[in-house]
Amino acid sequence: LCCGYWDMAALIRGLRAGRVLRGLGSVAVQGTLSPQGSNVRRAFHRTILLQLVNDSKSDTSVPPPSYHEVHTAGESSSSSAHGESSEDAQPNTSFQDQSGEHGEDYETEEQLQARILTTALEFVPQHGWTVEAIAAGAETLGLSSASTGMFNNGAGDLVLHFVTQCNAQLAETLAEQNNKVQLGQAESKKTAEFLRDAVETRLRMLIPYIDTWPQAMSILLLPHSIPDSLKHLSTMVDDIWYYAGDRSTDVNWYTRRAALTGIYNTTELVMVQDSSPDFEETWAFLDNRIKDVVNMANTAKEVQATGESMVQGLMGAAITLKNITGMNQRR
Amino acid sequence: MQRAAQCALRLDISRAFCPSSARNCRAVNRVNGSVSSRRYSVLPPPRDEEEKAMLDSMLRVDHAGEYGANRIYAGQMAVLGRTQTGPLIQHMWDQEKMHLERFNEILGEHRVRPTLLLPLWNIAGFALGACTALLGKEGAMACTVAVEESISEHYNSQIRTLMEADPERYTELLQLIKEFRDDEIEHHDTGLEHDAESVPGYFLLKTAIQAGCKAAIYISQRI
Repeated sequence: LCCGYWDMAALIRGLRAGRVLRGLGSVAVQGTLSPQGSNVRRAFHRTILLQLVNDSKSDTSVPPPSYHEVHTAGESSSSSAHGESSEDAQPNTSFQDQSGEHGEDYETEEQLQARILTTALEFVPQHGWTVEAIAAGAETLGLSSASTGMFNNGAGDLVLHFVTQCNAQLAETLAEQNNKVQLGQAESKKTAEFLRDAVETRLRMLIPYIDTWPQAMSILLLPHSIPDSLKHLSTMVDDIWYYAGDRSTDVNWYTRRAALTGIYNTTELVMVQDSSPDFEETWAFLDNRIKDVVNMANTAKEVQATGESMVQGLMGAAITLKNITGMNQRR
Repeated sequence: MQRAAQCALRLDISRAFCPSSARNCRAVNRVNGSVSSRRYSVLPPPRDEEEKAMLDSMLRVDHAGEYGANRIYAGQMAVLGRTQTGPLIQHMWDQEKMHLERFNEILGEHRVRPTLLLPLWNIAGFALGACTALLGKEGAMACTVAVEESISEHYNSQIRTLMEADPERYTELLQLIKEFRDDEIEHHDTGLEHDAESVPGYFLLKTAIQAGCKAAIYISQRI
């Protein structure tokens, strides 16, 4: 174990390339015990990031990933690796008090990724939906641009993160509105109006990134992003219908969601090439599509009612026939 | 006012104790946000995506089962409604209607997706009920016996799954399923009492219907 750490430190100082990092991390920890393996690997990630930051003499405040590492990283960079190996008693390097909970500064890898991606969104207008934007975001947080290695799908991760964020915001807004209506503080909207407002709210979140959004849409359509993007789209549409009051448990469940998905996708496409002030044409298009769907629903209801009365008429004829032929007697 | 505070509190708590995966957070928050305003509900708030998926598929197939049973009785009534067995079938049908209504409520409340094949079960159930009723009262009773046996076996396996997982967590759901299973067993026994076994080809008919039910259960859990 100690030998592995020493080799790591030497290699890191020699090679500053970001791409080698991941390979190193996986090579070095092959000798570690498996239960602590993932913890140690994450600790390595952060130590490495911190080392590179210290090496490049950046003075920006570094988010302390764990109490233990802050201690060791506070010393000079050359001794931090030694400090790591000499204080090697506990392979789990995050500080835990007696209750087993992590200190307040502890951050999971997913939370760190989320933070990097959120910061990276600011650079999207400049760099587009690319790994460069993520690297710029990471550097703003004081981390090395090598941390883009954390993201397997690169730009796909950035776009999906943005979509997730927008959907969560939409769900929150809808839930708040729902609360207000339930408390009687607001009027409940008609379904068509509700759908229109919900889709508009969600599409307005794209406005800051509208110039680069076609690129994002194409990224979402890549084969390995499709499962995730479809899932996000379907949960968003389900959320909107749920808060619109849909509690159907028959085929309507599917037809309504399919209709709304169609409306959303087509309106998104219109929005991307809309150059009118404040996207007026997009909202007009949305209005018309929703009117279409409402009309179709009304027509369907009428057809069903007609069908039912026809069936009743036929049943009446059948009963009359049965009466005439004498088949309608109690046996 | 209190409900809003409760809603906010629920959301905060669920965020604080959220498992580290962001996706799990969202799944839990979605359902918690919508369920928190109702004080009593049959399902516990799901703690992660896996549990939600398991409960979803269980409720989906149960809902499909009750819907199918409804349509079977409707088919039987269409043929035998005016005979002496009419009132008996009507009584069993009414109980199934109650079950279906209960499941409709649960599905709507917990945002469970109903199975896509409902129109298929609609037609197939009605056809099965009508065809077996055309074999006479014994045929209808044989169909009832076969279907109710399948359904109660299915409910029993669900009860076993829930008990093995965590009986305390699913107390209300277990109670509900047990109640419905008892009703189905009652229907099964009623069918036997009314000469189900005297239909010609009873064994063949019963086996065929039960095979169909098993296939329907398998498919509805997934689609």
